[in-house]
Amino acid sequence: MAFHRASSGVSDELRDVNAARWPMGPQYTKQIFHIHELKDIRDANLKVFRDINVDETNILNWNGLIVPDSPPYNKGAFKIEIVFPAEYPFKPPKLTFKTKIYHPNVDEKGQICLPIISAENWKPATKTDQVIQALVALVNDPEPEHPLRADLAEEYTKDKKKFFKNAEEFTKKHGEKRPSD
Amino acid sequence: MSSVDMKSQDSEDSDYDQSDHMDDDDDYGGYYDNDTDDLDIDKPKKSDDPEYFEYELLQVEDVERLLNEEVETLCRSLKVDPYLAKMLLQVHQWNKEKIIERTRHMGRTRECAVCFQRLAMEMFYSLACGHTFCKDCWDNFFQIQIQQGITTGIECMEKDCNILVPEDFLCSALSKPELRDKYTQLSFTDHVKAHPELRFCPGANCSVIVRAKEPKSKRVDCALCKTTFCFRCGIDYHAPTDCVTIKKWLTKCADDSETANYISAHTKDQCTKCKYDFCWMCLGDWKAHGSEYYECSRYKENPNIANESVHAQAREALKKYLFYFERYENHAKSLKLEEQTLLKITSRIQDKVMNQAGTWIDWQYLLDAASLLKKFEYQQAQLEAEVENLSWKIERAEITDRGDLENQMDVAEKRRQTLLKDFLEI
Repeated sequence: MAFHRASSGVSDELRDVNAARWPMGPQYTKQIFHIHELKDIRDANLKVFRDINVDETNILNWNGLIVPDSPPYNKGAFKIEIVFPAEYPFKPPKLTFKTKIYHPNVDEKGQICLPIISAENWKPATKTDQVIQALVALVNDPEPEHPLRADLAEEYTKDKKKFFKNAEEFTKKHGEKRPSD
Repeated sequence: MSSVDMKSQDSEDSDYDQSDHMDDDDDYGGYYDNDTDDLDIDKPKKSDDPEYFEYELLQVEDVERLLNEEVETLCRSLKVDPYLAKMLLQVHQWNKEKIIERTRHMGRTRECAVCFQRLAMEMFYSLACGHTFCKDCWDNFFQIQIQQGITTGIECMEKDCNILVPEDFLCSALSKPELRDKYTQLSFTDHVKAHPELRFCPGANCSVIVRAKEPKSKRVDCALCKTTFCFRCGIDYHAPTDCVTIKKWLTKCADDSETANYISAHTKDQCTKCKYDFCWMCLGDWKAHGSEYYECSRYKENPNIANESVHAQAREALKKYLFYFERYENHAKSLKLEEQTLLKITSRIQDKVMNQAGTWIDWQYLLDAASLLKKFEYQQAQLEAEVENLSWKIERAEITDRGDLENQMDVAEKRRQTLLKDFLEI
């Protein structure tokens, strides 16, 4: 009995495709899975995460735009890349910032310290939109307790005013253009 | 009559689509055809009156009977118990047809929340937490976890669920037998590591497991690989220092590797050119040390330190560290030198025996004395002096020195015992 499950499941045509292609091997299921997740995220129509593009040659590579709504990052937008490993969803996706960001939990290479997608914490039932939500929450609310950039974490804890000023200037200088709507 | 009734209801349905109660009323209508028949006679014709609206007035008991009938119908067609049927009807606004239609569509299958595949119910498994996933997903998940070396700590696949996966559940889903072996092997390691009485021998590729009733920081000698280690922390035996201090010390040395490198590069062992006897520690004249040979090995802290600025204190702390590091490093070097001495002695004995200058037995004491030297790694000033004496004597030993040497060995061993006694009583 699964009546309690909201009917946000795979649309009928997707399910048909799934059923028809399953005999060809699990690779197709994985693709269907990605289309499904992509559809869910696009349907959610989030203001803070948009412009999702899937690499045509490799559907395991996504790009998107994070548009934070609270200071100091609300002066720009940030491109991110999501790479799904071949073993997805049994191994976590990797997220990287493609736009420079002044943030204690993101290093100069754009790597992010996000517990939900760390190898030891990863749960296969976690959905990509939950990962995005966790990322947006981290961007809006830095966690200086486990930083990737100790200098910024120290500034954030000791002199928040200065941190906000620097982060805002940095965002204006390096950030992407925010969508007009 | 009833067929006519149904038709009129259909047309009304479309008008009152929004109202769920209307649906209910219409449904009830079907069960009370006979009553409405009687009433109809007195009423004006439907087509004549534009305000005509078909309804009926019911008592609580009637409605209860009516609802129960609906529940029973659903019970029969879905083969579920009445409470579940009632709940389903309530959730779906008593739309029986919709529920039956959806169940028929689903059959006895469900969708896996990990792979989104719709599969037969018997393909699904769940732990005590009730989070249900298909067998293939559990299998894949377990394979990846085991490959990553995780076994006893595998949790349910649901986000934020910390229910652990027991071995029988894992084995029932895991398809690859070779991974089952790996699981057994890895979980055994986890069990030993978690057990307070058991320790793996830290020797390279050594399979020995040590068991002790009390986890004390005492010395264990592995008979198989000849490794000596501390039972509690598993690193090289470190008496008379305790486990916490030695760990801090090693971490500090690793962190300050630049400092350590600098010191190693600038510490000289001995002057081979001028043969000048000097102290390793303070570089002062060896003779000036007198009987208190290693007086310089206790760091003399400036007594006025509390009155000085933070900056000076930091400098003082660094100086203190460097001082102790130098000593530590010297001991390590000294130990290496002693190992070389041991090799030299062995070959010297070989030579002597070959040249008929005494038997192998006669020279054995020299070897014993040398191996005793190896044990003295972290000893304090007095002991160091004795050991240095011993070392000096061994290097210059000839057969006539035997009594003197054995005496020296005894003194050194006594010093070591005294030192250890204090430490082990802690």
